Amino acid sequence: MEIKFGLISADSHAAFHRDDFTSRMSSKWGERIPHVASTEEDGKRIDGWSIYGGPPRGDVCNCPAVMGDPFPTWPSVWEEVPSIAYDPKERLKALDIDRVDAEVLFPNPPGGSYYEYGDVDFEFACVQAYNDVLADWRRVSDRYLPLVILPYLSDPKVVAKEVERAVTNGHRGVNVAGKMPKGLPHLAAPHWYPLWDACQELNVPIHFHGSANLDTAASAKKWSGYTVRQAHSASTSTSAVTPAQIIPHFIFSGLTERFPRLKIVFAEAGIGGLNYVLAACDHEWQNRRLWTEGLATRPSEAVRRQMYVNFWFEAEGIKLREDIGVGNIMWEADFPHVASYYPRSWESIERVLKGVSASDRRKLLYANALGVYDIEATVRPTETSSPSASF
Amino acid sequence: MKLRHGLISVDDHVQEPPDLWAKRLSKNRWGERIPHLERADGVERWMVDGNPLLDGPARAAALMADRNHEPTRWEEVPPAAYLPNERLKAMDEAGVDYSVLYPTVAGFAGQNFAGIKDPELELACVQAYNDWLVEEWAGASERFIPQCIVPIWPPEVTVAEIERAVAKGHRGVIFPAVPMDLRDVPHVAGPEYDPIWAACARLNVPLCLHAGASPKLQYAPYSGLAPALAQALDAVTKPVSSVFILGLYLFSRVLLRHPKLRVVLAESALSWGMLYLEWADHQFDHDGLAREGYELTPSEMFRRQCYLNAWFDEIAPFEPYLGAEHILWSTNFPLATSTWPQTRQTIEHCFKSLPSEKREMVLWKNAASLYGI
Repeated sequence: MEIKFGLISADSHAAFHRDDFTSRMSSKWGERIPHVASTEEDGKRIDGWSIYGGPPRGDVCNCPAVMGDPFPTWPSVWEEVPSIAYDPKERLKALDIDRVDAEVLFPNPPGGSYYEYGDVDFEFACVQAYNDVLADWRRVSDRYLPLVILPYLSDPKVVAKEVERAVTNGHRGVNVAGKMPKGLPHLAAPHWYPLWDACQELNVPIHFHGSANLDTAASAKKWSGYTVRQAHSASTSTSAVTPAQIIPHFIFSGLTERFPRLKIVFAEAGIGGLNYVLAACDHEWQNRRLWTEGLATRPSEAVRRQMYVNFWFEAEGIKLREDIGVGNIMWEADFPHVASYYPRSWESIERVLKGVSASDRRKLLYANALGVYDIEATVRPTETSSPSASF
Repeated sequence: MKLRHGLISVDDHVQEPPDLWAKRLSKNRWGERIPHLERADGVERWMVDGNPLLDGPARAAALMADRNHEPTRWEEVPPAAYLPNERLKAMDEAGVDYSVLYPTVAGFAGQNFAGIKDPELELACVQAYNDWLVEEWAGASERFIPQCIVPIWPPEVTVAEIERAVAKGHRGVIFPAVPMDLRDVPHVAGPEYDPIWAACARLNVPLCLHAGASPKLQYAPYSGLAPALAQALDAVTKPVSSVFILGLYLFSRVLLRHPKLRVVLAESALSWGMLYLEWADHQFDHDGLAREGYELTPSEMFRRQCYLNAWFDEIAPFEPYLGAEHILWSTNFPLATSTWPQTRQTIEHCFKSLPSEKREMVLWKNAASLYGI
């Protein structure tokens, strides 16, 4: 691909057309196929996604960044969803407007958790349809870097095979739940080794997004006294803990020893988690002489070698990029979600990267992502990641 | 105050001896329900009210020949864990002037008696600990700074015990930060707990929220993991679980309602703090919380009332944002994560490139003013 602007988003969200699943899944699934359905609230029609025959729930599309004023607004019916969110041809215009070369695609409603219904075959069918939708995006443009979602309930060898199939079709990474769905083995259990092995061999990074499903594994009990906005602030910002709750499992369970080329990305969890992980894991490793317990590699070496975090607002945090690892940080847009600065991403970047050298800017804004996602690219000399460039 | 070494450790743990509760609780009234050591298959563990209290007799890994193995019988427990005079020698060796004390059997965060179903037994166990600590430790040397534990509910009983303990000489209040995880009590963010926060502010004693109050705040290790690795993993996920606690106390307005309350996040470590506060402020702006009756942003609340506790982190990268006056130091003696016996070397590493004025604030001045030493 061509790097025209000098900016890759390591965390954006695809959006789905109402027919994406019905047109791809066998009619034997009938009403269980994820589809847009309506309810009424105070005499008004509200659309949501019905899955496995359940009542419609959630947003029909999570795309406040392209809904216009007042910000933030979410569409309440399908007709309000702008095609620039879900039509891969249209969406290229949004990338050009915001001057983003490429974007990594995480889920959006109807989401990526089809295991919830406890039906192995149904989950598998949904997962394949989902992965096929995004493989089609990739056929439209190599500026899309889709992430595979997993059929968790299937045999781990089948899970690994689905990763292989999707990667062959153009996917460039895998999205993983930090806490495996209920009833399945622990994230660090040997059960999942075939999955990590496949990701390592295919050279596709695995991803943990936001709170990464940890609310059932590590979280404070929710308080009912918050307003909606307060609850949003309180819960979103505690995603800062996600890398520090997950990375130690990869280190101390020996996964980074066993899979030294497995790349792990933390999206929408901030960049400061790595500061803590580097210091704390090294301290315990040294203090407890854990090389005598089979962990030959100093944890900070494994972290620098394999772990990546994304930034979007962290003007203070980015000052510590040397400590975190300049090669371990990527930019993220979170387009078209509420945290996105679209269409003014570059304005926020100038604020956050004030005083950062041209060479570090290039790494943070796109060069690290080229490496993590193994992208072959030609870079236009006029790319705007350099602060001296005029735009 | 006599300062020979220039270090006040704000988080160390006493080891309760086997006869602590047996000596102080009525055998007639409580019988076998009294906290005591029980031996099975050559291994001892603490029991209370028919339930396990602590797996093993003690936590003293830093003093053991092999740090990955805790003592399994009381005879193996090193005296510096439980004898005040031996502890003083260890403090001199590590260069520690004063040591602020937390429990072990009663829970690192003072949480263990909250699981007792009988509130009278809970109170009796708590009071015995508080009396013992003042008499046996604070009575042995003014270099020990005792902090009380509390019954978590109801608040009037909590407040009464805080008042009693502070009158006896306790200098801080150890409160398990998430009582609703321990027993069926209201959420800690609610106004029901205001009398407790008000009492701490009124008596001018810090509220100490030690990491590890509830396992629900940490992602548990895979069950097939070797014990030494599982313990190391736990030691890493524990301090940073303070993110949840700090978030709760900031966004729920506890600090805004009690501006004189000072909150110590013991065993929190440091390096996550800056990012968390920057994010909390960013989110606060993004969600327009200034219009929802908060007169301070999260980082402003923090810089008015909170303290993080470092022991292995480098200070210099984070100090400009957090403020040197909000960072405390400890040795975490005698836990496996402790810097013992490398405390001085660790300090040299962690404080490099920090001006001496700020170094003194973190190593002792902040603690001296917080605890009135």
